[in-house]
Amino acid sequence: MEIVVCVKPVPDAETRLRIGADGSTMDIEAVKFVLAGYDESAVEQALLLKEANPGSKVHVISAGPAPRTEEVLRASLALGCDLATWVELPAGVSPDPIATARAVVRAVSAAPHDLVLCGKQAGDDEAGLFAGALAELLSIPDFSAVLDLRWDPGTSRLRFQRSVEGGLEKWEAPTPCVVALQQAWNDPRTAKLPAILKSRKLPITKVAFEAPPASSGTTRSTKFELPPPRTGAKLIEFKTPEEAAQKLVKILKEEAKVFP
Amino acid sequence: MTGPALVVGELHDGALSDATKEALGVAQSVAGAGEVVGFLSGASARGPAAEFGRYGLARVLGTEDPRLEGSVAAVLAHLVSVAAELVGSGLVIVGGTTLGRDLVAHLGVRWNAAVATGVTSLTRTGETLEVRRPVFGGRATETRRLEGAHVAVATRPHAFAPPKESPQAVSFTEIPMDGIPPSFWTPKRLSVEVAQRGAGPTLTDASIVVSGGRGVRGAENFHLVEELAASLGAAVGASRAVTDAGWRPPGYQVGQTGKAVSPQLYVAVGISGAIQHLVGMVSSRVIVAINSDASAPIFKVADYGLVGDLFQIVPALTSEIRRVRGIA
Repeated sequence: MEIVVCVKPVPDAETRLRIGADGSTMDIEAVKFVLAGYDESAVEQALLLKEANPGSKVHVISAGPAPRTEEVLRASLALGCDLATWVELPAGVSPDPIATARAVVRAVSAAPHDLVLCGKQAGDDEAGLFAGALAELLSIPDFSAVLDLRWDPGTSRLRFQRSVEGGLEKWEAPTPCVVALQQAWNDPRTAKLPAILKSRKLPITKVAFEAPPASSGTTRSTKFELPPPRTGAKLIEFKTPEEAAQKLVKILKEEAKVFP
Repeated sequence: MTGPALVVGELHDGALSDATKEALGVAQSVAGAGEVVGFLSGASARGPAAEFGRYGLARVLGTEDPRLEGSVAAVLAHLVSVAAELVGSGLVIVGGTTLGRDLVAHLGVRWNAAVATGVTSLTRTGETLEVRRPVFGGRATETRRLEGAHVAVATRPHAFAPPKESPQAVSFTEIPMDGIPPSFWTPKRLSVEVAQRGAGPTLTDASIVVSGGRGVRGAENFHLVEELAASLGAAVGASRAVTDAGWRPPGYQVGQTGKAVSPQLYVAVGISGAIQHLVGMVSSRVIVAINSDASAPIFKVADYGLVGDLFQIVPALTSEIRRVRGIA
């Protein structure tokens, strides 16, 4: 099967966040960028599907500026993806998730795709909007919060679960479709050194960014704030477990007012 | 962004869900003297739509059709955009559920809307909507300005109070279900495994979450965490160490690669507080940590801490809560 994986470079979760001088951007120039957590899961899922279905190909696509986008694409190639396409955004252009979907839709359309995979949301903007927007642009169905994704060659259907508010749903869907993955792998693969070295020489197809049509609604960040530094927990002193329990319940009731 | 605010409803056990009620509360405050219109679709919509009247809505639009049970998000987006055009609404507000976020994503393209999810506050100034929303796993807050003829937002669960009540009669206008491509009806929802009654709320819905970590030392001890959660009517979560070790399935994981939660109260039992975990729960309103290691990073983000042996403290806490709440 032909699988397209859309990934996004995000600052490593360990990064100490800083606000830019203008207050309306995050200062993320010097930080280390990695595959967004759920996107890493999506790459792993794509490679597992490829291994289970011989003859499959995995094509990774990302939109973003240099050098971080090229880095995550090469990291994906090193993990075992076959092809990579980079929609290069000029410095200073940071489209919202809808505009990002518009920016990559031509590259996705041009790539053969039975399945388009991505993470359910990225760890920076936490929006979770990309998959639905891309599906709408491609006019194919999409499924979010997906777990346990399998391909059934007998029926030519994808089978998966969705973890939604109402409970755990079981689904069966034909291709093509877009799947936003919520799966967390306990043990995703890591790239081996020879593969990393080889990935540095593999070709990446570059596509120019086209600004979205002016008729669309626009969104932009106007301010970022960091929470006041947490002062640390108020430690409750106690001599016996019973005393600890009584004191905590009293605080939750009377001070924090969160006791049910 | 003119006209009435359109609130897209979801049902839970046949009644408007808490997420929908929060969306209604926001819509009331943003609409001011303007009208709030409801939308409801599903196998049953016409009857349950009457509940919108309890919160002062006079008009509900929607579609009642058995095919909508287990349909894809694109179908809902189609119906909602038709309804919005019909009443001349430029603002769609929906609760922060999986379906709510999916709907907003589709409206961003189908309805050319300026969109945002996970919003914790909303201010309308003329044609501009300004929203605040946690980003970077709750480690920062973004203010975002949404502009254009159409705006659609999904709220963040538990961020808003329920709406004010002012009961009145509701009219229901049916939105015809045509113009939907046949390919959108081929995916099939085969089954829904509803969380068992009495099994407590799901992680992302719950207003209280109790999570266990490595300090619980084994699957055989995890019942301590579950009993504490049950005493509070809370959902049960776990750190990555727990799901990695297979003590609980991956669905329990709170954190960067698990679920992000923002309950009123988060109780961390035997969790050291790796950044991986913190980004999934740091935006909880009140955090309590129980851990034997006073230098554990979890105490830096917690509001209240109990330094001690969880195997003694947790059972004592469970029985104290049960006593105070009058649970036998």
